Amino acid sequence: MTSTRILTQRRLGAAGPQHVPARRRRRTRGFVQVAGSVAADRLQLNAYAHAYLGLGAALVAVLFYLALAAQVTQSSYDITRLQDQQRQLIAEQDQLRYQEVTLHAPAQVQQSAAQSGMQRSAPVAYVPGQPIAIDLGAPAGASGTDATPLWARYLAALVNKVGGTRDVMAAGH
Amino acid sequence: MSAGALRKGAPRVEHVLGARLRILALLMVAALLAGTVWARLAYWQVLRHVQLSASAQAQYHELVQLPALRGVIFDRNMTQLVVNTTVYSAFISPDQIAPAVRDRVAGGLSSVLGVDKAKVMQTLESGKKFAYILRRFPQAKADQLRALKLPGVGLEDESQRSYLPGIAAGSSLAANLLGFVTYDGQGQRGLEQYYQQELAGTPGYISSYRDLANREIVLGSHTHQDPVNGSDLVLSLDANVQYQAEQALADGVKKANAESGSVLIMDPATGGIVAWADYPSYDANNFNHTDPSLFQDNVSSYLYEPGSVMKVVTLSGAINQGAITPSTVINDPGYLNVGGYRIADWDHRNHGNVTYQYVLDHSLNVGAMKAMLAEGHAACYSYLKGFGLTQPSGIDVAGETSVALPAQDQMSDSQYATTAFGQGIGVNMVQMLAAVNVVANGGRYAPPHVVERVGTTVNPLLLKQQRQVITPATAQQMTAMMEDVVQHGSGWTARVPGFALDEAGKTGTSQIPVNGQYTLDVWASYVGFLPANHPKFTMIVVMRKPHVPGSDRDWTLNDGYFTAAPVWQKIAQAMVVDWRITPE
Repeated sequence: MTSTRILTQRRLGAAGPQHVPARRRRRTRGFVQVAGSVAADRLQLNAYAHAYLGLGAALVAVLFYLALAAQVTQSSYDITRLQDQQRQLIAEQDQLRYQEVTLHAPAQVQQSAAQSGMQRSAPVAYVPGQPIAIDLGAPAGASGTDATPLWARYLAALVNKVGGTRDVMAAGH
Repeated sequence: MSAGALRKGAPRVEHVLGARLRILALLMVAALLAGTVWARLAYWQVLRHVQLSASAQAQYHELVQLPALRGVIFDRNMTQLVVNTTVYSAFISPDQIAPAVRDRVAGGLSSVLGVDKAKVMQTLESGKKFAYILRRFPQAKADQLRALKLPGVGLEDESQRSYLPGIAAGSSLAANLLGFVTYDGQGQRGLEQYYQQELAGTPGYISSYRDLANREIVLGSHTHQDPVNGSDLVLSLDANVQYQAEQALADGVKKANAESGSVLIMDPATGGIVAWADYPSYDANNFNHTDPSLFQDNVSSYLYEPGSVMKVVTLSGAINQGAITPSTVINDPGYLNVGGYRIADWDHRNHGNVTYQYVLDHSLNVGAMKAMLAEGHAACYSYLKGFGLTQPSGIDVAGETSVALPAQDQMSDSQYATTAFGQGIGVNMVQMLAAVNVVANGGRYAPPHVVERVGTTVNPLLLKQQRQVITPATAQQMTAMMEDVVQHGSGWTARVPGFALDEAGKTGTSQIPVNGQYTLDVWASYVGFLPANHPKFTMIVVMRKPHVPGSDRDWTLNDGYFTAAPVWQKIAQAMVVDWRITPE
């Protein structure tokens, strides 16, 4: 038995190998090709024009690549130059650090002190101290009473009033 | 076909044949030529492919090592003791310098770098490809040279260790302790050598391409491995104390007219080294122009006989063993016969009945020998071991030297006897100070060390439990005895104002043997700690071969009390002020 489908395939058999790839080509055509062919149809471009267009596009791509490569190379030279600058700056920084460390070195401090007329002094005496026991947990006592006689206080108030004097805060902090 | 036609046809055939032959010959020649070219191509592209591609790689490919930054060294107050600085080396390519500009190049190099112009001209005319003009000069000169834009002259930057200045020109701070680093990055001597691996780090590399002008194409395909920088070291050293010690030592050595001297100061509780001074010393910044004999570190690499300082160890052991007490009375006729030898006190006097306190105060050898005999050889040996005198101290500084004592049963009676007062036994200063520090540290042995931290890692020694050598009670008794030495004995020259009643010490003087015979040259030393009961530091001062004016008549002028103790006093005085130590 032969099915209709098989018969159809047989009928198309001779042209089959040509048609199938054609169908595949249609499937794989991208937007650019479609747009290109549409543009070609509208502009009525022939095969040479297609070739020129292709070559032009390729040339543009090559030029673009070359420009990019040149830019990359230039950037890489810039980076090298900056790295060189960085090395120099680090060297300067190291030098400054050494200067700073040397300025604080005991030898330098001693020399500067000597130039300023300073000299190392030794303690001549130690005062013996009596240990004092303080009970931090004990409650605070009553505040001290003013032992100034009453008459003296009144006299002072009077003098202040007459003389216009006032109590002042102690200077300083 | 006619005969005429045949005659005409023969030359035509010959002509065709000749033409074919010529074509064939031409073809063969062409094939031969092409074959030659192809063969040559095959030779270069197939047979020589490996070498040529390697050669091409070598021209445009570059593997640059990225050096790791060497770790720096700080003292206990985070004062930087070593700084990495960049120095420059100038080189020329004589073959690339035209004869017309040679004079300008030589003149420029000579004026900036101070090199001999004639020598530079000679190098320029040699036609070499590469030659150094001057190595390791500072950046200021490099900047001047760069500004001249001399053709064929290049600058190479290198890292260099720069150390702090010392007490005088020609010396750097703590040179014998720190060591130095050679131009190829190898630490030599001291800490630089001992901690080479930690300080050096691991270098990285960058593999990149270069163009015809030898400029690096950074964005080209390359591989890159970052270097791992070295770890920083934080020491127990105090730079200020170190400086004071170096200064006092230099003054002391000059005053005593000694061959050399050393000071070692230790934190009693931890064993951390606070100062490590040698005189004479050297400038580590200028190591390549230094007499190599100055590189010798006399603190850990020099063995000496400690003399009477050893009595601290002997008496401590005997007290701890219960064999004696400070008030035990013995008879000292001025000599003792041991193992067939008659061994005398330093003054050859009959002292009669004396206590052990008196023995220590007046540094009597007979008393020390009797203490050793009272505790016994076995106990004496075990205490020598306990105090760390039979093995290296293990200090983390390159080049420690020590000599092992013979086995306990192989030591003769006379060896035990002389060891009791510090002769016939060779120790280094680190061992001796660590031993006396046992008394200052409540009877515990604090392992001596210099480095507290490597990077962020704390020295494991600091975390280990210290071994108990003698009981705290014995340590206290010995401290009291050593206080008495300062108050009433030979240590009076080390008294620090305000601390006369709160200072412990012991003098030591031992004759130097030469070819098996003791000479009049001595090692003079003083060891002590302060404040006595809660010590902030333990210090030892050793003078080698002092020759104090007048000592040819009275050789005791070279003793430790006269040469080493005053240096100890001067340094202790400075530390009291710097560390704000008050008497108790």
